[in-house]
Amino acid sequence: MAGTIRAQYPATLRPVRINCSGRVTPSLMMRAIGKGADAVAIGA
Amino acid sequence: MLQSARTEGFTLHTYSEVEEVTGFVGNFKVKIRKRARYVNKDCNGCGACWEVCPAYGYNEFNEGMDSRRAIYSSFAQAVPSLAQIDMDKCIKCELCKGACEVDAIDFDQEDEILEIEVGSIAVATGWDEFEPPTGYLGYNLYPNVITQLKLERMLAPNGPTIGHLVRPSDGKEPKKILFIQCVGSRDLNMNSYCSSGVCCMISIKNSKLIKQHSPDADIIVAYMDMRAAGKDYEEYFTASRKEGIKYIRTNVSRIKEDPETRNLKIVLQNTLGSAGLRELEYDLVILSAAMVPARGVGKIQKLLKLENSQDGFFKEFHARLNPIDTKIPGIVLAGVAQGPKSIVESIAHGRAAASSLARLMGKDKYRILLIRAQVEKERCAKCGLCELNCPYNAITLKDDGAEVNEILCRGCGACLANCPSESITLRYYREPQYERQIDAILEEI
Repeated sequence: MAGTIRAQYPATLRPVRINCSGRVTPSLMMRAIGKGADAVAIGA
Repeated sequence: MLQSARTEGFTLHTYSEVEEVTGFVGNFKVKIRKRARYVNKDCNGCGACWEVCPAYGYNEFNEGMDSRRAIYSSFAQAVPSLAQIDMDKCIKCELCKGACEVDAIDFDQEDEILEIEVGSIAVATGWDEFEPPTGYLGYNLYPNVITQLKLERMLAPNGPTIGHLVRPSDGKEPKKILFIQCVGSRDLNMNSYCSSGVCCMISIKNSKLIKQHSPDADIIVAYMDMRAAGKDYEEYFTASRKEGIKYIRTNVSRIKEDPETRNLKIVLQNTLGSAGLRELEYDLVILSAAMVPARGVGKIQKLLKLENSQDGFFKEFHARLNPIDTKIPGIVLAGVAQGPKSIVESIAHGRAAASSLARLMGKDKYRILLIRAQVEKERCAKCGLCELNCPYNAITLKDDGAEVNEILCRGCGACLANCPSESITLRYYREPQYERQIDAILEEI
């Protein structure tokens, strides 16, 4: 998303490519938070 | 159209509507409602029936500016050349039945539902003219404010006035004519897009035509920007200026009618000059209205599950790299269905659509990606949530559990995110794979 507007992601962001935002399950988001992520953002 | 209708192996269903589309690329099943025209195929279009018909209706082909009979041919070159009856207007006197020499009139005809199988679909729904809101620049309020399509019909030799330009209010020939560009387009309150320069070129063409018929006519085109981009277009624009057609860069601020003469008083300011606001009096005002998606196109969108662009036209696969295909395999767009286009562009787009389908259908095989949803039927609780959530209608609930159609499935995974029994997985993108990714990314924290 940020690439198309020539912006930069913060260096602390870790992208995970997913086929579709509909694919994201609550358990995946909770796992990330459980493993120490501060937040989960879903970009479509 | 005539050529297509005569081509062997080509079936043309006119006066018909698509009601249902199921299946997938290579195996679409389409339900078509063929409307009853109350005239069978024996009709040779001789016209004996409409000569005796006593009932009248508005002639839609001439924008309602003249009348047609209740039994009529939609226009002179209509393909196929068959008459049809407008049952809203018909008084069922059956005079036409007596006049018909080939016994083609059948008052008992009913709508026919055809079910056909096709391999691929091209959507060529075209466009309609934007209808300005009543009162906007005097439209629908003053009879001498008309849109470009009405002018087009008037200037046509087979139109309601046999090619003579007349004022709707008194039938006199207008001598002072004003074209207003960008009505309903390039306007954030209506349509923000530009109709691809089509209205600019139509205004140039029609002003030249008027000038040909009456060289003393005073014609002004009030424009925002003249968009004459394309082969020979700029030369055409220059030629029209040499013929004496005036172009004023302006936004028309007000139109008022003189109640006695029915002339129109127009307030505008040439933004390239220094004269300030001026009031001009003109006989006829033509609104160059935008091209909008054809009315009723929403139904096709729902049937085919196509996406819309922001402007309401169908969304293509990629606006720059592939404006032909849609995201659904086997369905392509042709012409203005995808966005405003001139005739040249529409032809090119249509031919591109045809060759895209030919390339697809020419092969015996169709390759799909393997990233598809899979169901573990033993675990499936048959709740039907997946069927409900699938945007591509790829899942159906069978007796022994959900079933995925691997051709329709696009591998988005919306089904498995909603599956309460976790019985659906996405090939190559399974839950543990994501879990490992997340774990690895967050390891260093």
